[in-house]
Amino acid sequence: MKLRPAEKILTSIPSIEYVEHTLENGLRIVLSRNTKIPNVAVNTTFHVGSKDDDPNMTGMAHLFEHLMFEGSPNIPKGKFDEILNNNGGDSNAYTTWDSTSYFICLPSTHLEVAFWLDSDRIAGFGITEEALEVQKDVVAEEKLLYVDNSPYGSVEEESSRRLFAGSGYEWPIIGDMEQLSKAGLEDLMEFHKRFYVPSNMVLSVVGDIEYDETLNLIEKYYGGITSGMKPGKMPFTAEEISSESTGIIYDNIHLEARFLFYRVPEIGSRDYYALSIISGILSDGESSKLVKELEYERELVHEIDTAVYGFENAGVFAVSAFALKGKSLDEIGKRVDHALEEIKAGNIDDSDFQKVKNRIETYFSAGRQSIVGLADKFSFLKTYYNDCGRVNAEIMNYLDISKFDLAETARKYLNENSRVALNYLPKK
Amino acid sequence: MKNINILTDKLDRSVPPVPGLPKDVNFPSFYETVTSNGITVLVIEDRRLPLVTARFVFKSGAYFDFLHGAEKSGLASVTSEMLSKGTALRSATKIAEETDFLGATLSTGADFDASYVSCYSLTKHFDSIFEIATDVIRNPAFLEEELSRVKEQRLNSFLAMKDDGDYLASRAYKKGIFGSNPLGSSVDGNEKSVSGMTTEDLVEFYRMHFTPDNLIVAFVGDISPETAVEKLEKCFADVKGEGAEMQNFSPPPLNEPKILLTRKEGAVQSSLRVGHTSICRNDPDFVNVSVMNTILGGYFTSRINKNLREVHGFTYSARSALSSHRYGGDLSVITEVKTDITANTIREILKEMNMLRDVAPDSEELQNVKNFISGNFPLQLETPNSVATKAINLKLFGLPEDYYSTYIRKVNQLTSEEIHETAAKYLHPGRLVMSIAGDVEAVSKLVSEFGEPEIISDNQN
Repeated sequence: MKLRPAEKILTSIPSIEYVEHTLENGLRIVLSRNTKIPNVAVNTTFHVGSKDDDPNMTGMAHLFEHLMFEGSPNIPKGKFDEILNNNGGDSNAYTTWDSTSYFICLPSTHLEVAFWLDSDRIAGFGITEEALEVQKDVVAEEKLLYVDNSPYGSVEEESSRRLFAGSGYEWPIIGDMEQLSKAGLEDLMEFHKRFYVPSNMVLSVVGDIEYDETLNLIEKYYGGITSGMKPGKMPFTAEEISSESTGIIYDNIHLEARFLFYRVPEIGSRDYYALSIISGILSDGESSKLVKELEYERELVHEIDTAVYGFENAGVFAVSAFALKGKSLDEIGKRVDHALEEIKAGNIDDSDFQKVKNRIETYFSAGRQSIVGLADKFSFLKTYYNDCGRVNAEIMNYLDISKFDLAETARKYLNENSRVALNYLPKK
Repeated sequence: MKNINILTDKLDRSVPPVPGLPKDVNFPSFYETVTSNGITVLVIEDRRLPLVTARFVFKSGAYFDFLHGAEKSGLASVTSEMLSKGTALRSATKIAEETDFLGATLSTGADFDASYVSCYSLTKHFDSIFEIATDVIRNPAFLEEELSRVKEQRLNSFLAMKDDGDYLASRAYKKGIFGSNPLGSSVDGNEKSVSGMTTEDLVEFYRMHFTPDNLIVAFVGDISPETAVEKLEKCFADVKGEGAEMQNFSPPPLNEPKILLTRKEGAVQSSLRVGHTSICRNDPDFVNVSVMNTILGGYFTSRINKNLREVHGFTYSARSALSSHRYGGDLSVITEVKTDITANTIREILKEMNMLRDVAPDSEELQNVKNFISGNFPLQLETPNSVATKAINLKLFGLPEDYYSTYIRKVNQLTSEEIHETAAKYLHPGRLVMSIAGDVEAVSKLVSEFGEPEIISDNQN
C-alpha cells in the first residue's frame, strides 16, 4: 500500500505559472513571470557536457564554457561582462557531465541587452587565439585550485575512472590539461557548430517580464539562427563492475577518509527518487542514521554524508566519511555497511521514513525563491524530461515511494561487489 | 590567427539595443517594536510561501571572547553551538529528532559581532519549532559530556583546516594586521583555547550576553506582526536580566607592512591574502569605501579580476573584499596562483592598488560600477530572509534608519573625485600585510623584493 499525502501538500504550496514555446529553428523556450523584484534571469542550457568530449580531448565542453564569454562576432574579447555589468547585470555558467548552462541576471528594463549578448555568441563564432590561450591558463589554475591543491581533490577523478570505465563519465569534467593544451580554434569552431545550435538548446526566462513582448524579443534575436542538426547521443557503454574496486590514495591531508560509490540508475527514474530518500534517512539532519550513530553516539567521524548524483545515463550513490583523528576507517566502513544492510532488510522506522518526507516537503517549498534558480530549474526540466510540469509536481515522485521500494532498490544497487571504495590516507 | 567571424543570420547585431530606464527599487517596509523587557522585534511579513523563520540575534559575538579571559577565543561560538546540545527539558538527541521530524531547521552560531539562533519551518509546524528554539535559548544545560564532544569535533576541524591554503593564508593575515586586537583571533577559537574551555566559561558567557536587552528577534515570512509579537511575549515576557554595559571599543590602528609565509604541505599553488586594516561597519564613509572596493575587486570586470584572470590568466578567481565589523575591519585582495607566479601576482596587485589610489577613475568606469551595484541591489531583496538580514544589520551596527532606502541614491551621487579622495585616504599600498600559504621554500626566494619574509609556524591556530 502506498502513501499518497501529496495532494494535500500540493494545495498548501502555491503553483508556479509558466508558458512554453518552440521556435521554428527548434529552440525550446520557457517563460515564467515573477514580479517580486524588477530583475530577470535568463538561462541558456546546451545539451552537451563532459561525457560528449572526445576521449582524446577531454575537458573541451568545460573549456568552451569559459570561452563563450570571450568574444563573439559583434562583442570583442573582454566586452561581454563589461557591457553586462554596465547594464546592471551579472553572469555565470557551469558545465556538468551532460549539459552546459549559462545565466544572466539583470534589470528587466535591460532584458534585450541580455538577448543581444547571449544570441551573438550562439549565432556566430568570434573567439580569438589569444582568448583561447588565456582561458587554457585559467582552466589550468581552476584545476590546481579544486583538484591538485585541494584536500581529497582527486576523489572525482579516482572514482569516475573506476565506476564508469568505457563511458563518457570516466573522465572528470575539467578534463586532461595535457590534451586540452593542444586544443585549437578549429576544434572550438567544430564544437560550436555541432553542439551550440538552437535544436540542442533550451532558453528559460524568469522574472519581471511580459510574455508576448519577451517572445517577440526572443524571436528577433534567436529566430534567425540556423537550426543545425540536433547532435545524436552516444549509447551508454560503461563496463559492468563485477567485484569491488578499491583504492588507497595518499594525499596532503590530516584526517583519513573513506569514500564509497555505487553505480545507480539515471535521474528521473523511480530508483533515483528511492535512493534520494535512502540518502535522507542515512545522513540528512543530526538525527539521521549515520550522523547520529557515527558522529554523535560513537564519535568515529568528523563528518559523514551520503548523496545521490543523477546523470542522464546513470547515477551515483556516494558515501563520504571523514574519520576523527585516531579512529579506524575499518570500523567506520563496517558501521556504514551495516546501516546499508539494515535498509536492504527493510528495517526502516516509520518515523525515519516520514521524517525524510517531511523534510522534502520543506525543501520543495523553500527551493523556489530565486529567479536565477528557477530559470535553471526550468532549463533542466525541459532539457532532460521535456516536462516543465515537474516544477510543481516533482514532489510527487518522492512521496510516491514506499518503504518497500526503499529496501528493494537498496538490495538491487547498494552492493559491495559492484562498488568503488577509496581510502584516503595522509602522505607519509 | 585572425578573428574568425561567421554569422549565420540576417539580423544586424552590430548595434547594441538601447535599454529602458531601470525601475525604482524601494527597500521593503517592516514592522518594528520593543518589548517591555527590552527585546527589539522586527517582522518582515511575506505571505507568498507557507514558510516562517525566526532569527534570534544577541549583540555579542566573538569580539567579546577576550572579556572572559586571555585564552578564551572561541567562547561565543562554542556557547552558541552548545545551546542546542541539551536543555532542562530535552536531550541533544531529542532536540535533533524533534526538529528533523518537523522538516524544520534549528541552527546556532556566532561571528565577531553577534551570536545567533535561527529556526525555520513550514507555517504549519512553526509553533512547534518556535517552542524548541525558545527552550534552547532559555534553558540550555551546558552538559560536560556534550561539551567534550563539541571540543573533540572542533580540534579535528582545526586539523582539517591545515589542509586548506586559503584558510592558512587568512589566519596568518588576520593575526598580521590585527595583532593582539580581538579581531586577530579566530571566531572558532584555537587548539589551546578550545581544549581549555569549561562549562563554567559557557555559563558565564551565556549569563552576561544572552539577555533580553541585548536581543533582536526577526520574524520572517508567513506571519503577521500581531501573531509574531504575541508569540514572543508569550515565550519571553518573563525573561529578566540586563547585559553588562559595553564600552565603545576603538578600532585597531593601521598595521605595519609584513610578509608572512605559512607552509602548506604539497602545495602547487600560493594562496594569497594581501591587505590592511580598514573601517568599521557604521563608518560614515562605508558606502564610499565599498564602491571603491567594488572598482578594485568587487565584481567580474573589476581591475583585479580583469588583470589577474582575464589578461594574465594567472588565476581562476581573484577578488577584493571589504570586511567590516562593529569595532574594526579590513580590506584585502584574495587569490590563488601557481607557485612560480606568486611575485608577478603581487606586483600586479600593487600596481592596481597604487593606480586606484593615485588616479581618479574615469567617469565611464565609475558609471559602470554604479550601474552594476544598482542593478544587482534588488537581488539582495529577493527573499524575505535577505531583507531580514539587512533589517537586522540596521540594528546590530546602529546604521541610520534610512541607510538601505538611500543606499542606491548615495552610490549614484558619488563622483570620480570623491572615489579618488576615498582611495587616497583608505588605500595603503605601502602598509600591506602579504600573507601567502604554500611552498614556503620556493615562495620565500620569490618574494624578497617586497621585504623580509617571516615564516609562520604550522602548529599554531
